Amino acid sequence: MATLHLLSHSPFADDRLASCLPLLGADDALLLSGDAVYALHANTRQRQALEKLPETVALFALEEDVRARALEALPARVTLVDYPGFVELSCRYERVNSWL
Amino acid sequence: MKFAIALFASPHSPAARRALRFAEATLAGGHEIVRLFFYQDGVHSASANVVAAQDEPDVAAEWSRFVSANRLDGVVCIAAGLRRGVLDEGEAQRYRRPAANLAAGWELSGLGQLHEAAQQADRLVCFGGH
Amino acid sequence: MARSMLVISRQAPWSGPSAREALDIVLAGGAFELPLGLLFLDDGVFQLAAAQQPAQLEQKDLTANLQALPLFGVESLYAARRSLAERGLDEQALPLSVEVLDDIGLSALINRYDHVITI
Repeated sequence: MATLHLLSHSPFADDRLASCLPLLGADDALLLSGDAVYALHANTRQRQALEKLPETVALFALEEDVRARALEALPARVTLVDYPGFVELSCRYERVNSWL
Repeated sequence: MKFAIALFASPHSPAARRALRFAEATLAGGHEIVRLFFYQDGVHSASANVVAAQDEPDVAAEWSRFVSANRLDGVVCIAAGLRRGVLDEGEAQRYRRPAANLAAGWELSGLGQLHEAAQQADRLVCFGGH
Repeated sequence: MARSMLVISRQAPWSGPSAREALDIVLAGGAFELPLGLLFLDDGVFQLAAAQQPAQLEQKDLTANLQALPLFGVESLYAARRSLAERGLDEQALPLSVEVLDDIGLSALINRYDHVITI
C-alpha cells in the first residue's frame, strides 16, 4: 500500500521536503516537480538527504522542470519522467499525496 | 483508471499548467477523468476574466477549452469561488454583483462534489503550490 | 465500500483561509458519513493550541469547529509528535482529543487511506 509523494516547492525556501522525508515508508516514492527539483542540485544538504534515502524508496523528477533549470550531474537513483510517465506513476502507486 | 483531479493554485502558478498537462496525459493514456475540482486559489483558473499577456500561455482559457472539448465534469467550489470573486449569473444576481465571470464548461457547486468524485475515483491527484 | 480520505492540515490557523478550507473539506465529508481522518502536521499543530483568541484578528473561531468534529462523525484525529515537539506544544495539554503519532506511525497512517489531501 505505497504512496507517491509529490513536491513542488523549493527545498531551500520551504520545509515541505524536510517534513516529507521522515514520513516516507519503505515502498513509498517521491516525485519532484517545479522548484522542488532544486533538491537535486549538487553539493547541497537537500541532495545529500535524498541520496541517503533507503534504496527501496524510488526517486522521480519531472523532466521538463529539470531541463528548464539546467540541472546536471543528477543523482544516479533519480528517474526523469514526462507527463505520460507521471500518469503511469500515479497508477502504479496506490495514492498520490501532493504537498500543496 | 478513473481519476479525480483537483487544482488548488492560481492560473499563473506553474501548478495550474502542470495540472492541465497531467489531465491531458490521463485522457491521452486512455484513462477517465470523473471530475475536475477547483478549490482555494484554483478557482481563479475558472474565471473568464483572466487576460494573459500575448506571449504567455493562457492557462485559464486552455482549461476552459479542455473541459468543454472533452465534455468533462468541471466543478468550482462555490464557497471558495465566492470568497475570491468567481461568480456565475445566479450568484452575481444573488449577491448583487455587477458581473458574472465563470468561464464556459464550469459549474459552481459545493465541497460535497469533491467527495463524490473521490468516491468514484481510483486516484485523487491534487495540484497546488508552485 | 466507501473510499477513505485523510486530510493533512499543515497551515497555522490565522494565516489566511487555508486552515479553514482544509477543515471545510473534512466537515463536508463528515456530513456524508464518509470515512475521514484529519492529521495536524507542521504549523497545522498550532490549530491545537489552547485558549486562542481569534476575535483579536476579527476571525471566526476555527478551534470551536475543531471541537465539533466528533459531532460531524469525524473521530479519527491525529497530530504529529515531531511537529508538536518542534513547536514547544505539550501533547498532554491539547484541548482536542487527538492521537499523537511518531514518524513511523504517520507513514503507516497515510498508507491506510485511499486518498490523501495535504494542504
